[in-house]
Amino acid sequence: MSEDTEHTFEGSGSELRAMTMELDELHHDMGMPAMNGALSQMRGTSRRTFLMGAGAAVTGGAVLAVVGSGTLPALAGASTRRLSAADAAFPPPGLKGDLAVAAVAASLENLAVFAYSSGLSAATAGKLGAVPPAVATFATAAKGQHQQHADAWNAVLKSHGKSAVTVTNPALTPTVRADFAKVTDIAGLAELAVMLETIAAQTYQAETAKLQSKAAIGLSSSIQPVEMQHIAILYYVLGKYPGAQTMSGTPLAFNPTSQAV
Amino acid sequence: MTGDSRALAELLEESQDLQADALRPTRDALDELVETGHARRDDDPEVSRAFHEEHTRALTTSLSGAALLGAAGGAVLVGALASAASASSPSDIQILQTAASIENLAVATYKTALTLPYIGGSSANPVVTKFAQVTMGQHAQHADAFNAAAKSLGGKAQTKPDPAFVPVVNKAVAGLGSASATQGALGVVGLAMELENIAAETYVKDTVLAKKASNKALFASVMGIEAQHVSVLLAVQALLKAGAPQLISLSPGTAASLPAAAGSLGFPNAFYKTNSAAPAAQGAVK
Repeated sequence: MSEDTEHTFEGSGSELRAMTMELDELHHDMGMPAMNGALSQMRGTSRRTFLMGAGAAVTGGAVLAVVGSGTLPALAGASTRRLSAADAAFPPPGLKGDLAVAAVAASLENLAVFAYSSGLSAATAGKLGAVPPAVATFATAAKGQHQQHADAWNAVLKSHGKSAVTVTNPALTPTVRADFAKVTDIAGLAELAVMLETIAAQTYQAETAKLQSKAAIGLSSSIQPVEMQHIAILYYVLGKYPGAQTMSGTPLAFNPTSQAV
Repeated sequence: MTGDSRALAELLEESQDLQADALRPTRDALDELVETGHARRDDDPEVSRAFHEEHTRALTTSLSGAALLGAAGGAVLVGALASAASASSPSDIQILQTAASIENLAVATYKTALTLPYIGGSSANPVVTKFAQVTMGQHAQHADAFNAAAKSLGGKAQTKPDPAFVPVVNKAVAGLGSASATQGALGVVGLAMELENIAAETYVKDTVLAKKASNKALFASVMGIEAQHVSVLLAVQALLKAGAPQLISLSPGTAASLPAAAGSLGFPNAFYKTNSAAPAAQGAVK
């Protein structure tokens, strides 16, 4: 990765690093306990209660299939054993209601982790041109948070006797994998990241009114704003207004759900 | 400063023009509310009792957990608000009114901030100015939406700011009078950030507390917007503290000039917290 030298930031860099360390400590001090609290609540929730939404929540494959239609921007190729086959049954048989949503959510988070991992690998290999240090930091931090989101949903599944979802979302993966190979610079990678973050945020948002378990709603709602924050920073990196917006860039006061899976 | 203020001004105009479009999902939710609201009043005593217990607990937690604004009031306020929020009151109405009161306070705060030379005047960073203008408009739309939802359920619109937070905001604003431009800008950003975070955390919690799906959807459509405001303010605050206001810019090349640490300042937690959420009935119409 190259480091921009046109506008150095010598005097204040250490201060910002210190702030980042504080934030990281805060994250582990407060963010993780919050997540753990939600999980504890879920574990305390009876299996029957958590499964109450069996008939109301998404039914996986049919819904997911709507999304992978090739509108995603390009990415660069990468291989991972976690990539999912498009024809795999998903969510796995036996998962219904809120647990099906948990599986879909985990698969979306896995896809985000894959995308950021691939992007960082491509950047390190010099395939994306000059990579601003702040962008590399962003990708690393966002990837870590998506991994925690995936872990949280998988903990829910495991606490109900189900297997963790380790694959990327089957419907979106083929498109992402194909388009990833076309990314040649950081802007292209950021545009793809915006799309993936938008799909995740809008999916969580849409599920808020459909999930049955309060614990599941709480977990979903604790993640959606974080994905929205990722989007804001990505827009800032791209030189766009740093908030939810229309395709033409008009800021929105209410986040839509048209891209939810 | 390299912000493209002209482009942002155009965005602002478009945003205002398209307000109706942006509100479409909300209107859909409200239509559903109108259809179902009167038929499904939360007048079940057991439901009301459970809500009363929940919001009393939330109220205590909130006032003990927040840093500045959340500390407003103290124990006396806890008791007063808990008793004022009757156990028999329709809970979604109270929640919506409280949300509207937070939005009203946000609008008033940004409106005041924009009168300050380093936020809305000629010496201000144009990106900060436009952000404040756009954000103020968004909060006004949020207030309208929450009030419309409350009215559709038979409640009154909340046109006043959250009473627990007003004294704290007033005190903070008064303190800006003698501040330097840099200190003043930091003070405004810090105050706005705290308000935005309280709003975001409150709505995250409201998605669980609200009973009606349409209300949950409404809160969910707003919580992420407020969280994005927090992100922007976190970044602005960091750059101001670092003495690099020139990097508060939407020029495409700005990212290349940012220090590495700036890349993750805008999203400090993997899971959005709720310990600073406002008590559910704090801003309800009395």
